[in-house]
Amino acid sequence: MGKETSRADEITRVMKEIGTDANGDVAINEILSLAQIMSRSMDSVYRAVENSIQREFREIGSYIENMKSDIAGLQANDLKQTHLPTAGLELDAVVEATEEATNTIMECAEAIMCADAEDHDAYKALVDEQIMKIFEACSFQDITGQRITKVVETLGMVDQRVSRFAERFKIDDAEGHFDEEEAAREARKKDLLLEGPQAKGDGINQDEVDDLFSAA
Amino acid sequence: MAIDTAMPILVVDDYKTMIRIIRNLLKQLGFNDVDEATDGTEALQKLRAKQYGLVISDWNMEPMTGYELLKQVRGDDKLCGTPFIMITAESKTENVIAAKKAGVNNYIVKPFNAATLKTKIDAVFGV
Repeated sequence: MGKETSRADEITRVMKEIGTDANGDVAINEILSLAQIMSRSMDSVYRAVENSIQREFREIGSYIENMKSDIAGLQANDLKQTHLPTAGLELDAVVEATEEATNTIMECAEAIMCADAEDHDAYKALVDEQIMKIFEACSFQDITGQRITKVVETLGMVDQRVSRFAERFKIDDAEGHFDEEEAAREARKKDLLLEGPQAKGDGINQDEVDDLFSAA
Repeated sequence: MAIDTAMPILVVDDYKTMIRIIRNLLKQLGFNDVDEATDGTEALQKLRAKQYGLVISDWNMEPMTGYELLKQVRGDDKLCGTPFIMITAESKTENVIAAKKAGVNNYIVKPFNAATLKTKIDAVFGV
């Protein structure tokens, strides 16, 4: 308190001493002296504020540092450049393999369906040959199973990393959609009731559909 | 009343494999005049160019879905009487109710077998 009073006195003194020249201008030295005194008078305030601001900045800095480390822990580039493209390729390969196998099996079935059964021996030979091709085509299941396992592993990895990040920073989902394209896609899906195949037990079966149809 | 197996049937599905399966099943049931379309828009063009005795359509297709196709068919004076069966993986109650409201004649859930297809075609034609 005493210090502040003496500073106030000092300021009053300098204010009194500040004179003006013939043109009414104030000397720069006098202004600087006044500024210096005033600045010194604010020292204690600055120090108090500075300490709490510094503490807050340190906390923010440490939070940002942790967040950077956790974002790095997501290994988004690794996911984007390696795992997700690979998973996409695996799924493409699954679609291709199942399509190829289905076509082979259908070709065999069509060949049997159209075959002339009059000549018993020739018919049996053809059926045996086509059945063998069907067995061979079914081997796709083993490979597609392995590919899908790899995709499931990738999804598990993404889930684990994103969940850990969201949990660490207590992140809540934002309202609405990620972008306009997604919003349009969702709106179309809702309007046209596009849900796609349901998980086992989720949708209704043919008997239940028939019941809905027979209901008035 | 017997079904006219010579009637032209339009099968609409965006998966060629599915079209092939349905075509083969129809062939087994005695229907040989089968045309195909891979989405609602193409189906509508074919329906306006030729008179079909039956439409068998998937629901989930782009750019025009089977549900939109059904509504277009029912809203068209010349096509509104065409029997329409939906064969789809969309198996939620609201889908079936919406399709029924829009005027579908029958609804088959994928995967299905030849017996189900036959039963539903018979039902549509009152056999």
